[in-house]
Amino acid sequence: MATDALLRIDGLDLHYGSSHVLHGVNLQIGDRPLGILGRNGMGKTSLCRTIMGLHPNSAGRILFEGSDISGLPPERRAQAGLGYVPQGRRIFRSLSVEEHLRIVARKGGNWSIDRVYETFPRLKERRRNLGDRLSGGEQQMLAIGRALLLNPRLLVLDEPTEGLAPAIVSDVVDLIGKITTEGIAVLLIEQNLHAALAAVDDVAIMVGGEVVETMTADALDNDQAMQKRHLGLEPGQAGKGE
Amino acid sequence: MITGMGGHMTLFLIVTLNGLTLAALYFLAASGFSLIFGLMRTVNMAHGALLLLGGYVGYSVVDTTGSWALGVLSGGLAAAFAGAIVQAGVLGWMQGDELRQTLASIAISIIMADLMLWYWGGLTYQVELPEALSGGQRLPVLGVGYANIRLALMVFALVTGLALWFLIQRTRLGAVIRAGVDDQDMLRALGFPINRIFILVFALGGLLAGMAGVIAASALSIAPGTDLQFLLSSLVVVIVGGMGSVGGAALGALLVGLAEQYGLAYAPTYGAVFTFAIMVVVLAVRPQGLLGRAEK
Amino acid sequence: MRPAGYLLFLALLPLVLNDFWLTLVATRALILGIIALSLTFLATYLGVVSFAQATLAGVAGYTIAYFGPNTVGVGFELPFLVSIPLALILSTITGGAIGLIARQSRGIYAIMITLAIGVAFFYFTRQNYALFNGWTGFSGIRAPEIAGVSLRDPAALYLLSLGTAALAMVLVAGFVRSPMGLSVQAVRDAPGRLLALGIPVTTPIVTAFAFSGFLAGSGGILNIWYQERISSFSVGLGPIIDILIVSVIGGLRHPSGAFVGAVVFVLLDTFAVDLIDRERFNTLIGAVLLLIVIVAPNGLQQLAKDGFGRLRQSNSNATE
Repeated sequence: MATDALLRIDGLDLHYGSSHVLHGVNLQIGDRPLGILGRNGMGKTSLCRTIMGLHPNSAGRILFEGSDISGLPPERRAQAGLGYVPQGRRIFRSLSVEEHLRIVARKGGNWSIDRVYETFPRLKERRRNLGDRLSGGEQQMLAIGRALLLNPRLLVLDEPTEGLAPAIVSDVVDLIGKITTEGIAVLLIEQNLHAALAAVDDVAIMVGGEVVETMTADALDNDQAMQKRHLGLEPGQAGKGE
Repeated sequence: MITGMGGHMTLFLIVTLNGLTLAALYFLAASGFSLIFGLMRTVNMAHGALLLLGGYVGYSVVDTTGSWALGVLSGGLAAAFAGAIVQAGVLGWMQGDELRQTLASIAISIIMADLMLWYWGGLTYQVELPEALSGGQRLPVLGVGYANIRLALMVFALVTGLALWFLIQRTRLGAVIRAGVDDQDMLRALGFPINRIFILVFALGGLLAGMAGVIAASALSIAPGTDLQFLLSSLVVVIVGGMGSVGGAALGALLVGLAEQYGLAYAPTYGAVFTFAIMVVVLAVRPQGLLGRAEK
Repeated sequence: MRPAGYLLFLALLPLVLNDFWLTLVATRALILGIIALSLTFLATYLGVVSFAQATLAGVAGYTIAYFGPNTVGVGFELPFLVSIPLALILSTITGGAIGLIARQSRGIYAIMITLAIGVAFFYFTRQNYALFNGWTGFSGIRAPEIAGVSLRDPAALYLLSLGTAALAMVLVAGFVRSPMGLSVQAVRDAPGRLLALGIPVTTPIVTAFAFSGFLAGSGGILNIWYQERISSFSVGLGPIIDILIVSVIGGLRHPSGAFVGAVVFVLLDTFAVDLIDRERFNTLIGAVLLLIVIVAPNGLQQLAKDGFGRLRQSNSNATE
């Protein structure tokens, strides 16, 4: 797996203004979906943005399908097969649901607008609504649908369950499972430990801009001391997301 | 001949029509300016220069070929091309640094104005009109005579406004532009090369300005200084109407054009004060402009 | 005591410079520098680039013209002891009023609004004959005699301009350290936060603009004594852009850069004839502006500083 990882991050550094946000991050993502966990302000979102090219990294490499993409602008990374579902969803407020999908859709991929509507029937009902008229859950579906229409090889999801009702959280978890079975690799950033453990196979824990632990989801699930140390969760608290 | 109320009424109607003519021109000029500002946050100080370039090129083409339509088209294309070069060659490299872009576009407008003065001289040009647009006609109901070209100009502005609205609200390209106005980073992360979209929109703004220039040279006339006049009007129009909104540009142009002509007719030495007063009142009441969206 | 040394050196210049250098270069640069200082002050401490500084200088200049001896028969004459303070008061009030209009606007919005104000004033002076005598404006304006010294004498006007420039710098330095000056800088750094704390931002903004109006007004008075005439062209886009170019050359974030920029600008303006066809001066100045915006957006002063810094660094590296 080490050599044929889809996304491989080597010694990634990020400076933002005068602060040093990421310190030599190393990660590999292959077929197994990977979750990144950590408390607020540990650099998770910055890592996503750096992978997408929205922040220029100051050192290190980002290899995607074997070639270094760290010099490419965001649009080239998206074209290369990186799909991005950002934190806060970032729906275009003056575009309708249909327009969101229409500007991204390409002919001949696995995902079409019709298929997005099949997957999220709610979006079809609201196809004429503008982005800022949607509920949080609808916006999340749209953000994911929009990213899937790029037919990405890897989907980067940054806190997709943030601010959603529990029932919708489990929908999102199910969806991530479905995406994985289609052969799309997943990088999931989460605060919600329970949702993350349900959705991914492997986890990495970030503290202070560094990846301090990498393990399987099951191992973390059973290691409450680890949960408490890095995620600030008391034993048993993890289940509260439900 | 002009007697009592009738004379006043005729004067009022003519002044109103003149105001609408000017508003139509201001709208053509300001819509491109506003479009560029809305998407890129660039205050294109060279917009007046692009308009004047279009006017000069249009004049030269009509003078050589005798075809007015060809003149309007080539004036528009020349300014579109120049606009694309400005964005691709200079402003695009400073994206995000708005003050620097503003200063650079000022420098470009100074250079352009001087080179145009060199090539076309300080003369006042008026484009020769095609048969159909020359002369005038007596308007039904209103009972006043008015020049055909000015009536055509109002129709042209109306059609352009509708076409622009259609482009932005109903086409895929328009949706991409609106998405860029909302969130540039996200648009890029969806695979859209934003720099190329910027150049395209700059060219579109230049096209509108260039055609406005040829039409200004047909309905009125153009000379060195026309660039400044239209830059100022575009600034005031978008401040009044709201930045980045086609409807706002139309409303702002209407207010400014009418105010200017009424001012000229009824208070000739204080005309500029009217324009200024409209701007100050709007800024006091609605800083984002009448139809503008508040900044996030 | 380095500033005092510079000042002494500059005060002795009339002894060595001929009238050409003294009047056409030194005095002109000082006056332009004072007006540009009113812009760099605003840009540095309030963070607003105003395009209305030529307007403010013009308000003071027109006041002196209207209430002073002129040869066009518009206005009436007041003693200089009245008209000079009046000119400063009017330019200060106008500055404050512009600040009030633009108070909610920052960045490019402030640029657009102040430019619109400046150009509207230009068109107004061209249209209006009662106050501004239309586009011909005023001519035959004479600088007064003070204590038997005529300010029309090149050395006297130079020394007055030098004194005014020095005083203006001292005033700026004092202003930015005053409680009001600190509020102005707080507005620049975090306008939203001040509003959220319920601290009014209007007063600092208006005060900064008014102070800038005072600076521009003093430059404007000197300028009309120097030019001996004023017209709509003195407040048109040309002077607006000149002041901007001077400030950009010197560096918009360095108040004293205004004088560096003014010297460079005046030298270019004076000697460009030798380099380029006189009629293409605007292309030259446009190209210079573009070059500076591209190469040295923080101005020549900063460029020089960075250059020296790098030089020093490489020297110390070499000795290590």
